[in-house]
Amino acid sequence: MGTETIIPALDPMPLPAPFWLFKLLLVLTFFLHIVVMNFMFGGGLIAAFSGLFRKKNESDQRLFKDIVPKIPSLLAATITLGIAPLLFVQVLYGQFFYTATIIMAWPWFLVLVLLMFAYYGFYIVALKQDKTSRGIGWVMLISIFFIFLVGFFYSSNFTLMESPATWSAKYFQDRSGWNLNGSESTLIPRFLHFLVASVAVGSFLIILTGLFRWKQEADYARFLIVRGGQWFMYATMTQFVVGIWFLISLPREAMLQFMGGNMLATISLLIGVVGGLAAIFIMSNGIRNDDPRTPAWWAMGITGVVVIFMAMMRDVLRTAYLSPYFKASELPVKTQLDVLILFLVLFVIGILVWALMIKRYFFTPSAKITE
Amino acid sequence: MNYPIWDLTFGGGLLIAVVAVTHVFVSHFAIGGGLFLVLTEKKAYREDDTALLAWLKRHTKFFVLVTVVFGAISGVGIWFTIGLIHPAGTSSLIHAYVWGWAIEWIFFFLEITAALLYLYGWNKLDRKTHLWLGWIYFIAAYLSMVIINGIITFMLTPGNWLKTYNFWQGFFNPTYFPSLLLRTAFALALAGIYALLTGTVQKDPELKGKIVKWSARWIIPAFIVIPFFAWWYIGNVPEIVWESARGKVPTATRYANYILVFSILTFLFSLATLIKPKKVPFVFSLLIFLTAYGTMGSFEFIREAIRKPYIIYDYMYANSIYKNQFPGDGGLSIQNIQQEGLLAVSKWTAHKEITNDNQLEAGEDIFLLQCQSCHTVDGYRGIRKVLVQNQWSQAGISRRISSLDKMFHAVMPPFAGSAAEREALAAYLAALAPLDPDAVETAETEISGEAVFEFHCSDCHEYAADDTLFTGMAKYDVAQISYLMTRLDSLDEEMPPFEGTDAERETLARWIAEQFK
Repeated sequence: MGTETIIPALDPMPLPAPFWLFKLLLVLTFFLHIVVMNFMFGGGLIAAFSGLFRKKNESDQRLFKDIVPKIPSLLAATITLGIAPLLFVQVLYGQFFYTATIIMAWPWFLVLVLLMFAYYGFYIVALKQDKTSRGIGWVMLISIFFIFLVGFFYSSNFTLMESPATWSAKYFQDRSGWNLNGSESTLIPRFLHFLVASVAVGSFLIILTGLFRWKQEADYARFLIVRGGQWFMYATMTQFVVGIWFLISLPREAMLQFMGGNMLATISLLIGVVGGLAAIFIMSNGIRNDDPRTPAWWAMGITGVVVIFMAMMRDVLRTAYLSPYFKASELPVKTQLDVLILFLVLFVIGILVWALMIKRYFFTPSAKITE
Repeated sequence: MNYPIWDLTFGGGLLIAVVAVTHVFVSHFAIGGGLFLVLTEKKAYREDDTALLAWLKRHTKFFVLVTVVFGAISGVGIWFTIGLIHPAGTSSLIHAYVWGWAIEWIFFFLEITAALLYLYGWNKLDRKTHLWLGWIYFIAAYLSMVIINGIITFMLTPGNWLKTYNFWQGFFNPTYFPSLLLRTAFALALAGIYALLTGTVQKDPELKGKIVKWSARWIIPAFIVIPFFAWWYIGNVPEIVWESARGKVPTATRYANYILVFSILTFLFSLATLIKPKKVPFVFSLLIFLTAYGTMGSFEFIREAIRKPYIIYDYMYANSIYKNQFPGDGGLSIQNIQQEGLLAVSKWTAHKEITNDNQLEAGEDIFLLQCQSCHTVDGYRGIRKVLVQNQWSQAGISRRISSLDKMFHAVMPPFAGSAAEREALAAYLAALAPLDPDAVETAETEISGEAVFEFHCSDCHEYAADDTLFTGMAKYDVAQISYLMTRLDSLDEEMPPFEGTDAERETLARWIAEQFK
């Protein structure tokens, strides 16, 4: 069966706004989602590791206690921020997305179950008064493992979505939805690429906690920055190996996009490599200082920029993968202008209200209700 | 057709129902419960009641763990699930309402943030700021319902959208406002019903009594106004659609009966809590919780059932086939499939042509593509059971497939496919339930007019004085009726010929002539 003949026909309804707007919103909201997800997963993993395997180090034990209460809210933010890119990807690439999810329906459905267990697991740890009690670190680690599986299923789905040539064989072999995308050569390096990046960026949760603690207790704060910095550096160094593996695992046409074939992709990769090296260098020097705050901010800032470019690279890669079959930029458009304006106005109001909530929560002088 | 079908043996419809009903029972609590938190907090300040305040703080934790975790994930869960079971329908909803979903997402984001800050704020904030956060939470949560209600009601009553494809005309459709008020009332009732759960485990009888009385004040008024809003809602559903719940379609009718029983029980049980509010046991609050779950679940089942055979009324059938042909439909309209053939139009089928060798396998493909969005073989709405019960021959099955859209108050879409495809489907279905020779003999020896009517006519005709069979035959005598039954297609070209024996025909004619005199 020809690949093109099984790709579902486009939805007859036109795009309700120009293509570029959906693309912008997709990449932007994906960036926000991935950063918060990294904080949740990477931060949670580092905390679990510190809590379980550095029992003798008091500061590591404190790190565990300080970080784990933040994880449930970060998971809430991850899910909430994940909804938007999931919506926009369905608008632009619905016929690829739905097909991939159906072929691997059970793992995709299990995402919900795993998220639910992980979420309650995180809350058990966060709400437990005595965080040194037995098993609590394991609850954390198992919950993190569930998120790890969720990530793997996501990688499976999004690689499968981009490989229509493999659909037919998978589906007709098993229509009950018990497929993954194991035959895809880029799956493992791609997943590892995200995983290692999660640890690198997740370390910023530890570092930021340190930075905000600096004025209260500089020693412990410095420990957090150093510990976070170490995780960041080792993860980013590993990323150079994993990243190269991912790059060479790509089909030739897709790989060439990053070697001059596509200017944005090439520049993004270059920024990724140079930015990564610079951030490692700055961090490694910084954590030897008595006051590592400024270098830590710099390393995080540079990494933030790198992540933005990586999000764009990912999009270029998807476009390259799908280009033999489909160009989303050529989709018919009929803008729903009134609703779009309403969305934009509400979006701005939403951000303002959100910022006001955060401001009033964190910066209102404490006067407890119960006092 | 356009998409692969997830072959879920126990039934995709059941999976959606489980995820969706559980979600709405929590999501409505998330809305009403938000107002409950704020007003109860104000009440506690006004009455200077520290015990009530301390309970409310614990109730907030319960609220967040239920709504932010379970509510949010199951909400995303509905989206995941419908995408797996009804990808084309999901795609339509996404494309028509992207900006609606995006706006809902803004409110959702505010809602989740506010809920968490409200929870953590108990130990940190002053009263004014804390209450302010509670109000933001409630307003955002309510507004998210204001949005999603437009999209859900659109599916049942798309109104003028069918002509204009205009966002607002589909959004503010005929059932929008009654549904919003109905859901608002239910959300308020659920605030009280969930509060009873945590309230009745309190040891202090004074506190418990106070919470129970306060909760009842949320449930009882809501259940008094719900019938009025429901009546308004029903009034805006096209009459022919609502008839499904008035006896014409078994599922819809069953749940219409359930909802009456469950809502009356919820109301009466809630009233009963006021007899001895200090002594209401937890088990009793759980009972109210379950009857309310039954009420909400029944409502969702009715809504889904009366919408059949559509997923988006008058636009797309439940099996993803478009009702009408239009540019860009990908050849997936009923007219085109009837012309071209289902297997030819379908992208995701193992068999593109029917041969003598593959008839059963092709029939299975056709079942999967066209029937499995609602039916399974042995699971939810299992077809084998129906076939075994009715003992239809392959020809009888084929004939019924031709008139699917006439059966059971048009709850099913017409069959879309060629004559050969219909035969293949009939052969596959017949093979699922080989005829039982004993049963056939019994059917032949025990002839009663009623039995013949049940067997040969009742798929499309009802035993009712106003049914066309009885009104049409009223002016004829037995001999004339018997004669007319030999040439049914001359009465209506869509009627199949009478397939019974002469004796059955005579019996049926006599029986018809005697009914509704």
